[in-house]
Amino acid sequence: MTANFSTIDHLQAALTYHRERHTVLAGNIANLDTPGYRSADLVRQVQGDPSSLAVSEPGHIASAAGPDFVTSLDDSGKLQSPDGNAVSLERELAKIDANRTRYATSAELVSRRFALLRYAAGDGT
Amino acid sequence: MDFFTAMEVSASGLSAQRTRMNVAASNLANAQTTQAEGGGPYKRKDVVLAATGVAGTENTPYAQAVRGVEVTQISQDSKPPRLEYDPGHPQANAQGYVAYPNINPVEEMVDMITASRAYEAGITSMSTAVNMAERALGIGK
Repeated sequence: MTANFSTIDHLQAALTYHRERHTVLAGNIANLDTPGYRSADLVRQVQGDPSSLAVSEPGHIASAAGPDFVTSLDDSGKLQSPDGNAVSLERELAKIDANRTRYATSAELVSRRFALLRYAAGDGT
Repeated sequence: MDFFTAMEVSASGLSAQRTRMNVAASNLANAQTTQAEGGGPYKRKDVVLAATGVAGTENTPYAQAVRGVEVTQISQDSKPPRLEYDPGHPQANAQGYVAYPNINPVEEMVDMITASRAYEAGITSMSTAVNMAERALGIGK
């Protein structure tokens, strides 16, 4: 039972992350021609990353949970125009599209999870 | 933050690009205007864009990453006017030269194309937000 709902919780966190990331990427597109603007991105730090200690006994202390997403200034393209703007339209659009696909995937998985629960809670038809 | 924030960010970009388009169109329309308000030939206008924060994101830890855009100023180009010899022109000076605006139509066309492409990109990011919201509404159907 908990497994069913924790899957949905994880997927919900993924949906939130992709939604917030879209807002940040939309800001990059809006600032396509703003002098001195550098593109921003949101990086997700998955809680309970492999390097943290496992909590397998009631007495164990969980490692501190960091922020769920952190911002990063993305200069990897180095496509700076003379006015100091470093937004690459193609890269940002590719990111937006990939982000939307990931969002759609998570949304679909939540739907399927709910369908499964409905099936189990119903009379099996 | 919700999808409306993303749409607000995209909308700020769209309206900035539309202003740019209007300014470029006005420059083109006045490429031959020898008498503008305040006397002298029309002066080329240019928009000044600046990134701004978005209302409703102040309390998120990544507020500084969410940036809309706004037109902070419409500046005047200080390039000197182009002088053309035309003694019969009513606006000609004592030497017979007429001062025409410092506008290069090719430059304005390039500006319009850039603004129009940026506008299209803004539309894409706006419709992506709508598409994602529709996906979310589809959960549980």
